[in-house]
Amino acid sequence: MKEIATIAIFGLLAALLPLLIGENPYLTGLLITILMMASLSSAWNILGGFAGQYSFGHAAYFGAGAYTTMILLSRFTVNPLLTVLAGIGVACMIALLTGTIVFRLRGHYFALASIAVAEIVRLSVLNFEFTGGAQGILLADVTLWGVDLNSKNPFYYGMLVVLLCTLFLTAYLKRSKTGYYLQAIREDQDAAASLGIDIARYKNRALLMSAALTSVTGSLYALYIRFIDTSAVLDLRLSIEIILTAIIGGVGTLWGAVLGALLLVPLAEMLRSNVLGDLLVKGGFIPETSTLGLFLKENLAHAHVLVYGIITVLCILYLPKGILGLFRRRK
Amino acid sequence: MMFLQSLLSGILTGGVYALAGIGMSLVFGVMNISNFAHGDLMMLGMYLAYFAFTLLHIDPYLALLLIIPTAFLFGFMMEKIFINRVINHPHQNQILLTIGLGLIMSNTALLAFSSDPKILTTSYSSSAVTPLDGISLSLPLLFSFAITCLITAILYLFLSKSSTGMALRATSQNREAAQLMGINVAKMSAIAFGIGTSLAATAGALIAPTYYIHPLAGHSFLLKAFTICVLGGLGSVVGAAVGGLIIGVVESMASTYISSDWKDVVVFVLFLAVLLLRPEGLFGKKGGQ
Repeated sequence: MKEIATIAIFGLLAALLPLLIGENPYLTGLLITILMMASLSSAWNILGGFAGQYSFGHAAYFGAGAYTTMILLSRFTVNPLLTVLAGIGVACMIALLTGTIVFRLRGHYFALASIAVAEIVRLSVLNFEFTGGAQGILLADVTLWGVDLNSKNPFYYGMLVVLLCTLFLTAYLKRSKTGYYLQAIREDQDAAASLGIDIARYKNRALLMSAALTSVTGSLYALYIRFIDTSAVLDLRLSIEIILTAIIGGVGTLWGAVLGALLLVPLAEMLRSNVLGDLLVKGGFIPETSTLGLFLKENLAHAHVLVYGIITVLCILYLPKGILGLFRRRK
Repeated sequence: MMFLQSLLSGILTGGVYALAGIGMSLVFGVMNISNFAHGDLMMLGMYLAYFAFTLLHIDPYLALLLIIPTAFLFGFMMEKIFINRVINHPHQNQILLTIGLGLIMSNTALLAFSSDPKILTTSYSSSAVTPLDGISLSLPLLFSFAITCLITAILYLFLSKSSTGMALRATSQNREAAQLMGINVAKMSAIAFGIGTSLAATAGALIAPTYYIHPLAGHSFLLKAFTICVLGGLGSVVGAAVGGLIIGVVESMASTYISSDWKDVVVFVLFLAVLLLRPEGLFGKKGGQ
């Protein structure tokens, strides 16, 4: 009950935030990305955190939503919300296929198979004609109920609603029978099976919930950006960013993904827009004309994946339970 | 003729894949770790061969004499500094750590060598032999295949005859029992990772004359190496060798009879089919893992 109330308060504050910052497209865009990563990682956490099944191919579900929405909207005049539903259907089909093949197995196999499935999806999208191939799909404008969705605020609230749904589901799962079963599977598969839990079925259930929510976020992203290609929505890098966000905050916790997104997205943005490089130089840490200063100025903007790699390594070695895990241990 | 042509070139490419697969399988067997940095280690091998050729003017095949010990040392240190600290962690942490290390390697390469693909052109790069009418085999691939066979034979002898090789196999079969028998399993892990790294780098160097050299080239080889390992049975060195040849042939057949755009998809579908029908692999023990 306490958790439900916390989520509700968080939702209320987040809903008031756009009124506070007013008309600021840059900041709103950043907040939308934060909400998006938070809901993607929370959705991943339902499978990775509860059932202990680390998916390294969640980009497939994100891309399934994004591509279904874009393909349908570029061909037919339909309500965008219907395309979101269609995206869920496609994502669930991919999830069921993956789950049926690998959830009988254990250990490394799910991790490997999730990447293989994601790569099959990515390469198929790249090679087919109707998906736009390497060029991707561009959409001129999107209207919902006669309203032109050109401003950013509707998407801010859309992403917020998805995130809140995911958080509520997570909080509910923590205390539900399914949730207990999933945690039992995570802790000890053999023990869970000997107690009569149908392991494959519950893992599949977690994967379906996770895939469906990921796909909704993907559809929203596509409607928001109105341009997608495989490198934006189906890349392995996206799958890794989703996991990293969850790990940094704390896998298996309610707020870990939100915390991870609040830290990682602004960091990536600072690197991309070179704010960090400028800070280091202007703060006098590194002289601007030195070799290192020039090198940073030149390259830091391209280095955010490198920084992600370093953070991943440090996190696994020194903070495997994430930031929230740190607090929990102290208690 | 077309069938024979694609079968033969598939076997030649498959030989190099086998090398990468054996390296990954060895690491998996001895350490029970899925090394997601394996593809990036291959990429480093490609660049080593490239720079040995352009800067030092050493033939890429001769450069192996430099690349193999360098890569062994690199892998050995990498295990000592990073990998051994997660050897008792849950496998997802091991995967994430190696993914992180792979990202660091590929993106450092991206910053250092830029994203323009490099091409290593030797005097014999585009020469081919025609043993039969209508069949042409690329000379660099033939060299690579011969070297692969040689290295695999040496590795096989090392694993079956030398005391270190036997200790490695013992660690692979049962880590705890091996430790009780007085084998230094920590050292064995580092050696296995070193050998795995040098095999990856060798595979990279061997395909460098026939492939675009690019910082993110390792990505596509990583999944191929996994497919090979799973096909042959995770941890089985012989299985990985056979698996490599099979993948090479499947890929080449798919290019010939479907389209080269779809060859990777065919390989990954094969991977899922193996998981569905025979998850222990062709040479794996039933009921393991």
